Parts: sequence; C-alpha cells; structure tokens
Amino acid sequence: MALSCDIESLNIDDLKEELAFIVNDIIDDVTLGLCFEVHRSCKLGTLFLGDTDPQSQREHAIVDEPGVDVFGNPPARKQLECVCPNCQRNLAASRFAPHLEKCMGMGRNSSRIASRRSQKALKDRIEADGKPDSGDSEDDYNDADWSLYPDKKVKRLKKEKRSNSPRRHKTSRLKNGSQYTGDMTAESTIKQERADTPDSIGGYEYMSLEEKKTLLMSTCGVISGHTKKMCTRSHKCPQHTDSQRRHVRQFLLGTGLCTDDDDPVDIDTYVDGDSQSLRETLQWEAASNTSSPTDSTSTNNSTSNSSSKKRHGKKSSKKRKNPKGHSYHSGSGSGCQTHGLYDLD
Amino acid sequence: MISLNSNILMNNCLCMSFFSLHDRKVKDAQMRATINSKLVETGERERLKELLRTRLVECGWRDQLKQHCKEVVRQKGLEHITVDDLVAEITPKGRALVPDMVKKELLQRIRTFLAQQS
Repeated sequence: MALSCDIESLNIDDLKEELAFIVNDIIDDVTLGLCFEVHRSCKLGTLFLGDTDPQSQREHAIVDEPGVDVFGNPPARKQLECVCPNCQRNLAASRFAPHLEKCMGMGRNSSRIASRRSQKALKDRIEADGKPDSGDSEDDYNDADWSLYPDKKVKRLKKEKRSNSPRRHKTSRLKNGSQYTGDMTAESTIKQERADTPDSIGGYEYMSLEEKKTLLMSTCGVISGHTKKMCTRSHKCPQHTDSQRRHVRQFLLGTGLCTDDDDPVDIDTYVDGDSQSLRETLQWEAASNTSSPTDSTSTNNSTSNSSSKKRHGKKSSKKRKNPKGHSYHSGSGSGCQTHGLYDLD
Repeated sequence: MISLNSNILMNNCLCMSFFSLHDRKVKDAQMRATINSKLVETGERERLKELLRTRLVECGWRDQLKQHCKEVVRQKGLEHITVDDLVAEITPKGRALVPDMVKKELLQRIRTFLAQQS
C-alpha cells in the first residue's frame, strides 16, 4: 500500500510529529464541544446554577471522622417525640400513627374498642342510677330480643348482671353449644355484650312510645314467659296466637291509654296523643285482619266479651275508619273498645 | 579557482537540499492528509474521539476546564461572552491539561490502526 511505503520512508521523529498532530486535532475537537456547551449554558443562564455560597458549603461539608456519620451525628439517636393534637400527650414517633387511629376513632379496630367502651359505660351508669340515657339504649336494642322488666326489676337484674359479666357469658354460651362456638371474633363478642345488656337493663320500658309502636307494628312481640323477651318473628309466627299479641300490646301501650271504668267518660272526647296510637294499632289490626281471617271469628268472640265488659263509652270517631268492621280490636294497643265497632258488625 | 568551484559546488548542494526540504514538506502534508482521510473513512477518528471523551471525563479534565471557563466568563462578563473568546482562551489550556497517559493511549491506538492498514 502506498501509505505503508510512505510511513516507512518517514523517520521516527516525523511520524511522532504527525501522530501528535492528529492527537492534538482530536483534543481540540473535544475542547470545542465543551466550549459550545459552556457558551450555551451562559446564554441560557444555567452556568452558575449549581454553585452554592461558600458559607453553606462549609456548613454542609461531608464529615469524615471516625465514630460519627457523614452528617456528624453519633450513631445512637434518642426517640423523636411528638404531641398528639387530640389528647395532648407526648408520644414516641413510631407509636404515633396507631395511637392517633384509636384516639380519633378512625381506622379498622377503633370502632370495636369504642363500642365496647360505650357498653361498659352504659352498664356502669345503670348500676349507678338504675336508668340509662335513652339515647344510648337505642344502640343496645338493635338485637334480637328485648326483655320485659321495667325499673322495679333492676335490682334483680343487677344481681344477674354481676354473674353475667361478658366473660362468663362467653363461656356459658360456648358450653351451650350455641352459635358462638367456633372462633370468637370481635364482632361476636360485641354481639354478645350487646345481647347481654338488654337483659340487665330491663328492657323496653326505656324505649319511647314511638319505638315500642314501631316494634309492635313490625314484629309479633309476644313476651315469652320464661325468658321474658319479646318474640321477633313476624305477625304470623306460629308460636303465638293473636290474643297473646293483643295482650302484649295492651300491656305495653295501654298504660297511657286505659282509664278506669269508674270514671265518667266523655263519649266523644279523647286525648290527642291517644288517637295516633289508636290509629296505628287499628292499622295493625286491619292488616292482621286481612292476613288472618280464620282467626278472626274466634278472637272476635273473646274480644267482644272482654272488651264489652271493660269499656262502655269511650268512642272515637276515628275508629269508624275500620272498614272491615270486625270487632277484632283496637285491643292490641289501647284496650279501649267501644260499641262503635260492634255497631259495624 | 578552486574556491570558485567549491562555491558552485556548495551552491548546488544548497539548492539540492532546499528542494528536498520542500519536497519533504509537501510529502508531509500529503502524508497527513492521507492518514486523516483514512481515519475518517474507516470511522476510526470518531471512535478515537469517543475514547478520548470518556478518558477525559474520568480523569477530571472536563470539570477542571469547565471551572476555568466559568472564571473566564466572570472575567469577561456573562452578557458579552462569545464562542470565539472562549475557544481562544480554553484551547491552549485544554491541550496542556490532558494527562500524559491519555495521550499515550491515543497514540498507541493510532499506530496500531496505521499498522493494520498496511
């Protein structure tokens, strides 16, 4: 090749010179590239962006001593403390998040703990006063059965309650082989506790009239003799007869509505509050009339007998609304039968 | 007589050496052109440039030179700096700052390339 001949013809110094020339050429190219870059950053204003002032550079210089990390801190650190905004307590930072969950009542487990606490508070209050707040007791009555007894029986229930602590109830129910066998989850324990409290509180007496009516409208409501609890089945429950239901309604709602026979009764006057309950119980009766025509004859007789003995005069014009005309009852609630109904027969 | 002859002879010799020098220079230029074109055609020049860039970044030459650039810019003023100014200031410094190891490596590569070409 021509090149090789030429190279060989050159002496070594010349070759070195040529090569050096080529190397310098390449270096100049790279330098030019750098110049372009610097010039561009000058014009864009990014040339001095990364520079910090000497003072902060001195402050944040990397520490290179033994026994200390790069920031100059010793390896062991005391726990960071923080103050809970809710309860103003000093807490370790690592425990702050779970504490805040419980404290503010949010998060998965906090609701269980809160309801358990409210149950306990309720029980304590009952023991103290013998009567809980009506507001709280609403929570407790979401369960299956309600017990019968009013205030007078609270003492007896208190005794029962002492032996009926949640712990003991748990074990007793387990032994009974009820639905609480198997794993006792938090929900089931709470359910138990909720179920326990109606027993001990002494029931529905603390419900308002409205609530009682709602219950009686929707459920059978007959109070069992041995457990003292209301039946939660529908109106057509086979275990209880209509007369039982009527009796219960008389008992529960009749206290405010029944008057003595001896008192002179004005025929066409009635207390405003009564009419509503009467109307509602009549509606219930109307409904049950349609559903249980077979029962009506037998109960008609019994009702007419009992009620005619009881009531004489108290008429309510509203009662004539009852289209069926069965003298079946207003008995369930009021116990105030009138001849008006019988007239329609 | 003799001195005249020697003069003429010397003149001749001078003339001859002058011509060889000129020829050599022409030859050198041709040489350089040939080598360059060979490097470019095969793409060896680009590869060498990339190699050089990597080496210079590794050895810190680039940061050094950039620092020098910033000083020049501060001197001349940010608003009035031109590419030509920068190039004129930086190029000689750049050549001087390249470490010998890098230069030697590059030379070696070129020699190998040239040897391969033949």
